[in-house]
Amino acid sequence: MARPIRLCLFVFLVLVCALAVAALVAPPAAEAQKKILNIAAKEPDTLDPHSSTLGQSQAISRFMFRGLTRFAIKDGKVTTAEVEPDLAESWTLSPEGTIWTLKLRKGVQFHKGYGELTAEDVKFSFERQINKTPGTRYGVNLDVIKSIEVVNPYTLQIALKAFDPIFLLRMVGYQNGYIISKKAAEKLGDQFKWSPVGTGPFYFERHSPREKIVLKAFDKFYAGRPQIDEVHWYDVPEDATKLIGLEKGTFDLLYPEAVTADFADQVKKMGAVIDRRGPGGQERFYINMTKAPFDDIRVRKAFMHAIDRKAIKETMYPGGLARVATSCLPDGYFGHIPMEFPPYNPELAKKLLTEAGHPTGFTIKNYFISKSFFYPKVLTLAQEQLRKVGIIVELQVVEHATFHENIRKNLDPFVLYGGTRITDADPWLSLFFDSKEIPDPATGNKGTNFAHYRAIDDLLVAGRVERDVKKRAAIYHEAQKRMQKDLICLPISDVPGQWARNPKRVSTPFDPEYGEFSLHYSYNYPELLKVLN
Amino acid sequence: MLQYISRRLLIAIPMLLGAMSIVFFAMRVLPGDPCVAMMGDQATSEALADCTRNLGLNRPLAVQYVDYLWRSIRFDFGNSFRQGYPVRDYIGRMFPHTFILVFASAIVAALVGIPIGILSALKRRSPLIDYPLRIIALLGLSMPVFWLGILLLIVFSLHFDLFPLIGGGDLDGVFAMIASGEAFTQPRDFLMAVGDVLHHLVLPALALGFTLAATVSRLSRSAMLEVISQDYIRTARAKGQRERLVVYKHALRNMLVPLLTIIGIFVAIALTGTVLTETVFTRPGLGKMLVDAIGARDYPLAQGAITVFTMIIIVVNLAVDMLYAVVDPRISYR
Repeated sequence: MARPIRLCLFVFLVLVCALAVAALVAPPAAEAQKKILNIAAKEPDTLDPHSSTLGQSQAISRFMFRGLTRFAIKDGKVTTAEVEPDLAESWTLSPEGTIWTLKLRKGVQFHKGYGELTAEDVKFSFERQINKTPGTRYGVNLDVIKSIEVVNPYTLQIALKAFDPIFLLRMVGYQNGYIISKKAAEKLGDQFKWSPVGTGPFYFERHSPREKIVLKAFDKFYAGRPQIDEVHWYDVPEDATKLIGLEKGTFDLLYPEAVTADFADQVKKMGAVIDRRGPGGQERFYINMTKAPFDDIRVRKAFMHAIDRKAIKETMYPGGLARVATSCLPDGYFGHIPMEFPPYNPELAKKLLTEAGHPTGFTIKNYFISKSFFYPKVLTLAQEQLRKVGIIVELQVVEHATFHENIRKNLDPFVLYGGTRITDADPWLSLFFDSKEIPDPATGNKGTNFAHYRAIDDLLVAGRVERDVKKRAAIYHEAQKRMQKDLICLPISDVPGQWARNPKRVSTPFDPEYGEFSLHYSYNYPELLKVLN
Repeated sequence: MLQYISRRLLIAIPMLLGAMSIVFFAMRVLPGDPCVAMMGDQATSEALADCTRNLGLNRPLAVQYVDYLWRSIRFDFGNSFRQGYPVRDYIGRMFPHTFILVFASAIVAALVGIPIGILSALKRRSPLIDYPLRIIALLGLSMPVFWLGILLLIVFSLHFDLFPLIGGGDLDGVFAMIASGEAFTQPRDFLMAVGDVLHHLVLPALALGFTLAATVSRLSRSAMLEVISQDYIRTARAKGQRERLVVYKHALRNMLVPLLTIIGIFVAIALTGTVLTETVFTRPGLGKMLVDAIGARDYPLAQGAITVFTMIIIVVNLAVDMLYAVVDPRISYR
C-alpha cells in the first residue's frame, strides 16, 4: 500500500480514537445533581406570549406566564371550559353585564426582580394587544373591551362594549390572557420577545439559537417553587431524533410533529407513555357553497357520501390516536352537539352526481394542498375515495405558506383545514362560519370561512348577548343544525394534543388519557410536573 | 498576482449582486405570504394587514429592493421576520458551526475518499481491490446523509453511548474564552470545551464526510487514472523507479491540480449537505437555518444566508485558483 494512503488511514484512526476518548468526558457533578427536565420540540419563534402563534411557542409560554384565570381542576381532571381564579383572586360583574371588577392576588412577583404584579401590568398587557402593538397577534380576541381602569394597585375595572359571555375564558392563561410585566416590556422594547418576564413557575435564563432555551425554577412563584430546577427546551425538528433521544434518556418529554401509529408503537415499546390532551385540533373539509359544481347541494351531499371518514381516521390515527369527529364544532367546546352527516355510500354519491348533471363525475384541476402536517396524507386518502365516484382531484402539493395563500384566493373548491381555538362556540364559529370571514382576494379579506357560509350570522350575534347559559347553548345547537342541513362542513378527526413522556423520569398528576384539557400546550400546570431521579 | 486578485474581486461584485437580486425576487415570486406563514390559521384579515404593514411589505417592491441592497452594502440584512434577531448576528452565530462541520467533513472525505480513489485507480486491473472500492464509493453516493446520520446515531449514540445525540457543543463559550484570554489562563477548561465541541462534531462529520467521500473518491480515481497514463509516469517506471516512488513523487503531485478543483466543487456540495446533517443531528448552523427561512418566507434571513453562501463559494474558488500556482509552478497569473 502506498505510504500516503497508510498515512491517511493512520491519521483517520488517531482522530476517531481521540474523539472517542473525548466521549468519556463526564458532566460536572453539580450539573448532574440538578433536576433538569429535558424537552425535545421545535424552536419557538418568540417568547412574547402575545406574539406566538406556533404550537411550540405557545407551549413554552405556559411555563413562564400566567393569566387572571385558569382552567379549573375538577375530580382530578383539568376541565375544558370552566375557569377558576389564578392571578385574579375574585371578580364581580355589574348588573348590566358590561363592567367586570377584578381583584388581583397580592404578593405575586414577576421574574428577575421586576416587582409585584399590579393592576397596571394587567392593563398594559391587554392594551398593548388591543392597540395592535406590532408583533402582537391576539388583539382581536380582546376587541370586546371598551376601557380598562385601574382602581388601585390590586383592583381594576374592565368595561366591555357589550356583554361577553366568554369574558372569563378570554382571561385564562392562554394567548391574549397572559399577563406580562409592564416595566420589563417598556424597558426591553423589541428585546422582550427573547427576554420575557412573567409570573409563571419558570423564568427565562438563556437562548442559544437553533439549539436550546433554558428556563429556571422561579423561587418566588406564588404557588410555591416548582420541584424541577431547570427546563431545557431543545430545538429538535426531527421526530426520529426525538425518539432516539427519549430511548437514550437525553429527553424526558417529546413534542412530536405528528403522532403516527408507528410513533406510538415505538413510544410504547420503550416503556414511555403518550399524554393525550383533548379536545385538541380538528381536521375537516369546508365545501365552498358558492363555487360550481359545489353550489349545488346535491353535489355537496355526494361529496360527503363519497368520503369514508372512519377509514381516513383509522388510516391516519389508528385506535385511540384520534376520534372520528362528531360535529363541525368539536366535542369539548361549549355549545357542541353531535351532528349527522351523510354516511359513506359511494353508490348514493354517484346517483346524486347523476341527478346534479354529472353522470360521469367531474375533474378538479390544480387542487392545492400543503405538503406539511396531515394535509397531503388526508387529501390523498380522500382523493382515492372521491375518484371511486367519479370526482377526480388533480393535486398540486405546495409549501404550507403557499397553501395558506391559495386557499384565501378561493382556488380550492373545498378546503381541508385544521385548528384549535379557545373552547367556546363563539370564537370557533365566528372565525370559521361568520360571513365577515369569507376570504376575498378583491377586498384583501384573508379570513377563514372557506365554505363562504352566511346562514348563521344572526345566531352568532344572538349568542354574544345571551346571558342565560342554557339559551346560549341552544343558539349554538341551532347553528350546528343549520350547518348540518346546508352541508358545508365535513369534520374528519378530532386529534388530541399528544406528547410522549418517559414515566420513569417525569410524572404528572393527571391521567395520560385526556386527563387535561389542552389548547396549544399539553401541560396546563408545568409546576406540577416532577423529575423522578 | 495582485492584479489578478483585484480583477477577480471586481468580477465578484456583479456576481454577488446578481445572486442577491435573484434571491430577492425569487423569494417574492414564491407563492406564500410571510404573514400568513407566520400566523397560520390564526390569521384574520385585520391581523394580516397589520403584520404586512409592520414588516414593511406594503411598500413598493422597488423601494424594498433598493433598501435591501443599500443595507446589504453595510452588512445590515435587517431583522429576521420570525424571531426578530438581527440577521447579521444570527448568521454570525451560525456560521462557525457550519464552518467547522464543513471543515471536519472535508477532512473525513479527504482521508477516506482520496486513498480509495487512488488505490482504486492504481489497482484497476485487480478486481478484488478495485471492485469493492468502487462499490463502497457507489454506496456512499447512493446513501443519503439523512439515513446514514440516523444509523450512526442509533449505533454510536444510542447503543454504545459514545457520542451525544444533539447539539454542537458550546462553540460560543470557546470563542468567549479565546476573546477573554481564559483559553491561556485556564487551559484545562478551554481544552475541555474544545473537546466537547469536537465530541459533538464526530458523528455529523462522519455522516457528511462519508457521503462526500464517495464523490471525492470517484473524482480522485479519474484524476489519478489521467495522471498515470501520462508519458512522464511511463518514463519514471522505465527508469526503474520503485512503484511507491512513482506514485508518491510523480503521480500524486500532479494529481493535486485536479484535486484542488474538487475542493472548489466540494465546498458547494458540502454546504448543501449541511442542511440535512444539521437537521438530523440537531446542530445549529446556516444550512438548516436557510431552509427554515425559505419555508417560513423569512425574507431577510434567507437573503442574508444566501448572500453569505455566495460569498463563501466565491472566496473558496478564488483561493483554489490562487493555490493552482502554488502547487503547479507552470501556472502563473497576470
